[in-house]
Amino acid sequence: MASDSPAANVNNGPSSPDDSYSSPIGNTFSSPGDASGRRRRRPSSTPSAFSTPSPTRFTTSDANPALTPTPSYRTRHGTGAGRGRRASSATPIAATPSSTDDAPASSEGGDGYDAEDVRPTYVWGTNISVEDVNEAIYRFLKHFRESSSQSEEDALLIEGKYETAIKRVLEFEGDSLDVDAHDVFAYDPDLYTKMVRYPLEVLAIFDIALMNMVSRIDPLFEKHIQTRIFNLKSSTSMRNLNPSDIERMVSLKGMIIRCSSIIPEIREAVFRCLVCGYYSDPVVVNRGQITEPKLCLKEECQARNSMTLVHNRCRFADKQIVRLQETPDEIPDGGTPHTVSLLMHDKLVDTGKPGDRVEVTGIYRAMTVRVGPTQRTVKSLFKTYIDCLHIKKTDKSRMLTGDPKEAENPVGRSTEDITFDEEKVKQLKELSKLPDIYDRLTRSLAPNIWELDDVKKGLLCQLFGGNALNLPSGASFRGDINILLVGDPGTSKSQLLQYIHKLSPRGIYTSGRGSSAVGLTAYVAKDPETGETVLESGALVLSDRGICCIDEFDKMSENARSMLHEVMEQQTVSIAKAGIIASLNARTSVLACANPSGSRYNPRLSVIDNIHLPPTLLSRFDLIYLILDKADEQTDRRLAKHIVSLHFENPESAVQDVLDLSTLTAYVSYARRHIHPQLSDEAAEELTRGYVEMRRRGNFPGSSKKVITATPRQIESLIRLSEALARIRFSEWVENRDVTEAFRLLEVAMQQSATDHSTGTIDMDLITTGVSASERMRRESLLSTTRNIIMEKMQLGGPSMRLLELLEELKKQISGSEVHLNDLRNAVSTLASEGFVAVHGDSVKRM
Amino acid sequence: MVGLPYDLVANPLGAVRSTFEKAAASSGFDPNGKDWGVLDLFRHFLFDQGRLSQVPILNGETIRWIQPKTLVRFRAMVQDMLGNEFYVGAYQDGSVWRTNKFTDVSQFRLDDSSPHTQVWERRLLYCVPVPGQNSWTEPSSESVVNHCKDFIPQQREKRRRMDDEAIDDMNMLVSDNGFQVSPSVKKKEDGRPSTSSQTRDSLSEGYCSNTSIAPGIDKDFLSCLVKIYDSPESDLKLNDVFEFIGVLTLDSELNEDKDDHDEPDNGFCDDVMEHLPPIKVPRLHCLIHRKLAAPDFLCGSPMMEPKPHFVREMREVLLRHLTVVLGNDGIAAHFMLLHLLSRVHARVDTVAVGKLSLNLTCFSKESAALFGSRLSLALKTLLPFTHCIPLTLEYLNSVSLAPKKDYETNRLVTGVLQLAEGSHIIIDETQLEAGTLNSVGMENARLLRNLLELQRVEYDFKYYKMEMAADVQLLIFSEAKSNILPADIVMPFQPSSVGSSEVVTAEALEAWRWYLATVKSLPHSIESEMQKVVENDLVAARQTDRSIGSHDFNRWLTMGRLMSLSFGETCLSLEHWQMVKELERLRRERLK
Repeated sequence: MASDSPAANVNNGPSSPDDSYSSPIGNTFSSPGDASGRRRRRPSSTPSAFSTPSPTRFTTSDANPALTPTPSYRTRHGTGAGRGRRASSATPIAATPSSTDDAPASSEGGDGYDAEDVRPTYVWGTNISVEDVNEAIYRFLKHFRESSSQSEEDALLIEGKYETAIKRVLEFEGDSLDVDAHDVFAYDPDLYTKMVRYPLEVLAIFDIALMNMVSRIDPLFEKHIQTRIFNLKSSTSMRNLNPSDIERMVSLKGMIIRCSSIIPEIREAVFRCLVCGYYSDPVVVNRGQITEPKLCLKEECQARNSMTLVHNRCRFADKQIVRLQETPDEIPDGGTPHTVSLLMHDKLVDTGKPGDRVEVTGIYRAMTVRVGPTQRTVKSLFKTYIDCLHIKKTDKSRMLTGDPKEAENPVGRSTEDITFDEEKVKQLKELSKLPDIYDRLTRSLAPNIWELDDVKKGLLCQLFGGNALNLPSGASFRGDINILLVGDPGTSKSQLLQYIHKLSPRGIYTSGRGSSAVGLTAYVAKDPETGETVLESGALVLSDRGICCIDEFDKMSENARSMLHEVMEQQTVSIAKAGIIASLNARTSVLACANPSGSRYNPRLSVIDNIHLPPTLLSRFDLIYLILDKADEQTDRRLAKHIVSLHFENPESAVQDVLDLSTLTAYVSYARRHIHPQLSDEAAEELTRGYVEMRRRGNFPGSSKKVITATPRQIESLIRLSEALARIRFSEWVENRDVTEAFRLLEVAMQQSATDHSTGTIDMDLITTGVSASERMRRESLLSTTRNIIMEKMQLGGPSMRLLELLEELKKQISGSEVHLNDLRNAVSTLASEGFVAVHGDSVKRM
Repeated sequence: MVGLPYDLVANPLGAVRSTFEKAAASSGFDPNGKDWGVLDLFRHFLFDQGRLSQVPILNGETIRWIQPKTLVRFRAMVQDMLGNEFYVGAYQDGSVWRTNKFTDVSQFRLDDSSPHTQVWERRLLYCVPVPGQNSWTEPSSESVVNHCKDFIPQQREKRRRMDDEAIDDMNMLVSDNGFQVSPSVKKKEDGRPSTSSQTRDSLSEGYCSNTSIAPGIDKDFLSCLVKIYDSPESDLKLNDVFEFIGVLTLDSELNEDKDDHDEPDNGFCDDVMEHLPPIKVPRLHCLIHRKLAAPDFLCGSPMMEPKPHFVREMREVLLRHLTVVLGNDGIAAHFMLLHLLSRVHARVDTVAVGKLSLNLTCFSKESAALFGSRLSLALKTLLPFTHCIPLTLEYLNSVSLAPKKDYETNRLVTGVLQLAEGSHIIIDETQLEAGTLNSVGMENARLLRNLLELQRVEYDFKYYKMEMAADVQLLIFSEAKSNILPADIVMPFQPSSVGSSEVVTAEALEAWRWYLATVKSLPHSIESEMQKVVENDLVAARQTDRSIGSHDFNRWLTMGRLMSLSFGETCLSLEHWQMVKELERLRRERLK
């Protein structure tokens, strides 16, 4: 087998002329794992006619595995490049396990690589010495340890990372070993470079070295274990793949857009003579083709053209062609996404489905397009594809959230890790040290929406978030900050929302108008194929640990809004439907915006009256901002200036020092991941003091009326806000200034929303109950006046009185303020509930 | 470059090869795919020597006359990008370096014994004629045909005079790759023509049979697969209009051999090629490409500098013409002029600055039919790319407005809204009746609205949508203010006469086209004093009427800009600002 490659075919690198004649995509690749694995197994399963493996394979292979690279091997590496790496490596690999079986002693002598033949063997056309690489790989597999466990004496006690991994693979009878390329780089940068540059050759050696180790650990282990490299140091953009990348190991990110059906690819064919019934030896795929024997090999028969393929004796392997497309964020302006084909084999088949975002490690290959099978001329074109080695699903389009200590399943492979490289971290830390970082971040947030600085500061706090707290008793305090924006139309609320949505981790953007309760939380659906009931997550569950942006909050149906009560305080969604009882996490911040019920905000009415939201829900928002369009000449002028500059100036020049979106995202995600500020003692004191003061403000000396200016909910909000503010500074401690700023933010928001317009003071009752204290006092006085009038005017059991007459009387008595019929109705119904009067339609009767 | 050995128009590849071989022979040659000077040769020939007009324009008409492997010009819009293609760029034939640049097939057999081959890459662009292109933008085909007709004998003359090397060259070309176009040629080829006369014969036969290939190509819609060499990615964007000058190949031999697919499930690697057989879609190996703007489509000689008095005069005449077309509605004509001059000149986040869509209201079905057709006719003669969308329920519910990615064929299927920059669309809403919109209709309405408000079109990539910036002028006819399509300007249309349209001379038309194209692309700025005045006006307006918002401000400023541009001035003056305010006042009066 190995001798069939003519040594004349010399090539060095990507444009091997051998490639020119290579077959179409399907045939170039044969997996050694399977090839040798099955070959090894065959003797036991079919001991009869096929027990002797194809002689060519085993005779050419060297007796001593340590000296595998014979001259013929070398040529194969050079010329067989077009064949696919696995095919080229098949010979030595097949040889390895078999010879260790036969002569285990040869490999047991420790490092069996002190071969007597010291002449270095090089992979063709390169400066890779096979022995060196082999040894380097062996050292790596044997000795590599995670850097965390590098306390000198311990390190010797613990087994190497990959030795453990190999043992685990053996235990599970797995067929592949995942090798982190970062580990390779950390241990031996030179090996890493060689591996990336000459993956075909190095991976073949890798497999040999691996099998050597395997046979040493468990000499009876028969399966072949393949090396799967992943997590390369640098990942290439699909767009930047160019001819120099051919035959190199590359790593790409993209989205799977199409998967072909699974293709059974023939690996070995068995023919039978139709005349005498003689079975041929298995014929191996060569250059993607199987040559049918022209005549029967049996000496007595020798019939011509009598051989026919026996399908069920042939060996097939799975193959799949997958198309990968660039992710939208990599596409430059005015371009369409690029695509690339991936070739998947064996275990990799069906690992991804269309729509998955994946990171693929593989070898970039090219092969020529033939004009026709008969013509020797080739078109000068290449088709390119990637021989897939490893595939990893990712979803990293947005910034990452979540505290690692809260991770749900720490055991699971960390597929969602954004690793901040040191340089980036350094840069971010530098940023955080700037004295004006808070203002700078504020400026960077939606820079084209000017003004609204306090709102932006609030939103910034929401992005950073506070610390969630779980008490051992089971009580938990949310760290997410909920914000409601109420305002006149055309005040760029929606733009703010869109912006936050773009920026936020796992942000979901919905419009209240189109959302139903189930769409927001979760619903049970029947799977159309299997008929099973499945739980489908809604927007809130999907934005777990993210921000759920709800536009047109006021237009949302009553039903849907009521679902939010649980989400916003308990941070869970409970569902009891169709036999499924579940409580799903929905640790999401809610950012909602609402329009006043009239087209414009009526400053004379309370927030509740303006937006018609139940007070119970409103009180769950930490910050409520009113964005009003005030008839202010200053703002008008700024608007005019802004628009004029928009039209006549170079828009780029107008932008001052702001962070770009990606930096901002990185900054926020880093802070959310790594910074967990705690309250310092002074800050705690300051909080207490401030809160008490806020409460006290409600008590007017000498006045009987009690106005609640703050509730326990506010102090929770304050803690969250101050934590978020500390996070902005990358500070592990919440300091006084954070608390002061948190108070200021809260006050600004409350002044806008919770101010009782009749008295001008902050009144939390407005938010919590929808009725201000002054309003309540007015109602009480109205009630007592009504009671008095009825006592005066009506006899017990006497004739009834019409409401309108009563109103006249009332107006006479209370001359100061205006009395509405509605107020009276309310008062009368209260009296009726006391059993004082009876109401029939419009008439009131004393009882 | 003295004494060109090849006719660059008839045999551009000869020039490519000879220059390459010359470059390769020189010491220190590095076959890295970079240009070795051939582009300068062509640039010098085409632009410095002004021979561009000698290069025939490729379209559905002329493809019948143009021979393959000659230089052509192709004006088209980039409709889809098919990614990169790797090819053997240079290889050693014996000890000589040869190149495959600008061809599909290698000139010599690529031998597996060749020790050195270089893989280079090129970009594939699928280009189509610009959607909605009006006939006046194309140079009259007659001249091209004539040109081509004399072109052939001329070529033969040339060929005869070619030196031996060239003939050998051609010989090789024929015998190796073969013009397997028709059986007759094939027969000839079997005989292996060795003399130059025979070569010529087979060549001419090749030409004849080429004309018989042409029917495979859609006459009205000639799309082309353009292969771009050595040009940065940012140069060519989707929906840009370009003139590609390059080598045309129509070879049927490129037809991929179906036998190659001995495995039917060969994956989907060559989908694109399969769906674009060379026989239907010619290949163009682009040597030089240049972006076309509206002025490039003017046929006449390039006019002089935009002189103020001249522009002013032109403006008056055009305004008069528009007034006539609009049934003597002078104010509407003013708005129309501004509308026709609008373009998106900047984008600040989501805001497209400079767009000015116009909604003419108060149409009845009858008047819409009358004025609509008249107006669309008038615009057709004035603007290079125009479209008409009759907005009916069925249309909305069925048409696919947005381009969509078809992953089966790996192609971007075009939609109505995939338009070149500066296209004009008339949307006739008068035909819309009450009814139900299905989901497609809703989506389409949303797309139109997005285009109107943001000048963006969402391309459907199935797993996600991708927004593409557009620059399209939109004119809407409706009975009352359109709510589906909220335009920047709502203008009640009040025609006073139905007078027949005037006869316009060709010269006048040409002048107007020039006016519109030139004035539109002028730069514009504002003095700081004027800026103060404008700001004060805006603030005052807002103080008196709270309902005026940024939307109105944007409109006024755009109008101010366009107004001064329409006079050929690059700076906003008080006079023009007053005119804008006056126009707005008149419009507001009509709205009442």
